[in-house]
Amino acid sequence: MADHADHHDDHDENEISHVASVKTLVGTGGTLLFLTILTVLATKIDFGANINLAIAMVIAVTKATLVILFFMHLRYDRLFHTVVFVSAICAASLFVGFTLMDSSQYQHTNIWTPSEPPAAPIGPRPTG
Amino acid sequence: MSDAGHDDHGHGDQSPFIQHHYDDAQHQFDSGKFGIWIFLAQEVLFFSALFVAYVLYRVHHGEIYSYAHKWLDVKYGAINTAVLIFSSLTAAWAVRAAQKNQKTLLIACLATTIACACGFLCIKYIEYSHKIHEHILFGRYFDPCVSPGGEELLTRKNMCPGSKGSVIWDAGSDKPTEGCFEASKLDLDTKLAGVQADCEVQIVKVDEKGKEQPGGTPVTNQCPDELLTILNGSEAGTGKELVKEAAPKFPCWRPAYQPQVCPDLTTPEQRNHGAGMKSQVGILVEFGDHEEREGIKIKAKCKDASAPKPMDALALSHEKPTEHVGERAIKPVHHISTHEEHEIESLGPPPEHTSMFLTIYFAMTGLHGVHVLVGIFVFIWLLIRAVKGQFTPDYFGPIDFAALYWHIVDLIWIFLFPLLYLIH
Repeated sequence: MADHADHHDDHDENEISHVASVKTLVGTGGTLLFLTILTVLATKIDFGANINLAIAMVIAVTKATLVILFFMHLRYDRLFHTVVFVSAICAASLFVGFTLMDSSQYQHTNIWTPSEPPAAPIGPRPTG
Repeated sequence: MSDAGHDDHGHGDQSPFIQHHYDDAQHQFDSGKFGIWIFLAQEVLFFSALFVAYVLYRVHHGEIYSYAHKWLDVKYGAINTAVLIFSSLTAAWAVRAAQKNQKTLLIACLATTIACACGFLCIKYIEYSHKIHEHILFGRYFDPCVSPGGEELLTRKNMCPGSKGSVIWDAGSDKPTEGCFEASKLDLDTKLAGVQADCEVQIVKVDEKGKEQPGGTPVTNQCPDELLTILNGSEAGTGKELVKEAAPKFPCWRPAYQPQVCPDLTTPEQRNHGAGMKSQVGILVEFGDHEEREGIKIKAKCKDASAPKPMDALALSHEKPTEHVGERAIKPVHHISTHEEHEIESLGPPPEHTSMFLTIYFAMTGLHGVHVLVGIFVFIWLLIRAVKGQFTPDYFGPIDFAALYWHIVDLIWIFLFPLLYLIH
């Protein structure tokens, strides 16, 4: 609710919800475009595969945060909506994290070809 | 909750779209907003399954990603990122316009958002159609014509419809060059029938490492002209009878003309490369149904001078007789194109399971594309309502909620772009 109701139409006021100012919108959009160019340029420089990936991800997370805070008004929204959304992101991180933890368990599982069975102990027991 | 007495002046009559089961406009808006946030949380979880697939595969098979991402054009990805960011800006601006009762601005913002979304899908269409033409596809449809560096690949399982094995030699070059036939582009009837060449064709067995084994089998039979009609498919339904009548002895060979190699190549270099290969004759070897096509190479030696110039498009103007030798292996080997002046990066054949990258690429961008499509329909609906003037400062929930949805679509692309296009 507008807790500082001001009765001038030319002000960025709305009874129901926060109004993003033009400055915020254009500033966010401009920063996002700048970061897009930055991430493309950063790829062209070789910092090593892992650092390049880290840079790209840091920029992507920054862009995502800007979108969420300003385009999606989460900064001015109810705290509960932040809780809902951040919970979803945490759950998604858990999915990725737990899958990665588990995946190495199957590194040595081979798909058998009848002509080349894997060696014992995982292969077939020696006959005779 | 405030009752009518506390309403701001000038807006005493509330929007007719405020449902009677809500206390007031605020109550309706808050309920809707809560709903859309729950939906967005679900969207994050929905896409996270694909991100799990992506991360898992990348951790274990990073080499596939660093090879296959080069098939994607960063230029298109970056343009699409910018388009989506701009459309997100206009969507957010549409909310502001609705809140402030600026009808014209609202309509303009919604229309721009729709236009950007359509632009995004158009670029996606260009990208997808390149990949479809070059068989850079998912799962078992993965059968690329060229490596990401632009070199032609001879790893194709299905060489090209109509050609079971072929040697192409470039009429403009002394070196042999190889490529795939696009049967649909090959006007076999008219273009092949007239071509003649004096060639010695051999089938040589190769072992698993691609090494030739001594003693090739010469292919002495020439395929009859009737066979071309069958290959061309112009006599659909009568193919079997023609084979019987013509009774070619397989394997047989005949000179072939290749008007184009893998059209719709992405970069100008590749396109020049393709254009440079337009005028080619080659050898088409047809196998019978029961003959071994795996683990063999086809070698051909032809005297160019004896090949006439059967069609105008064919730039066969060698003054001196030159001998061309070409070979095509059916086992996975690769061949670096002879057109070195076009700076083709030699990347070699795709590593094993490269199709997984394309599977993940198409799954992620496809699901994202479906979201964009849904967004277009939602925004068209909002545009119609906005034109009717149904949105007021106390009723703009649909605009806000659709914009939130649109931002999450943008958000997902913000991650897809570096993860798919910008792999180092």
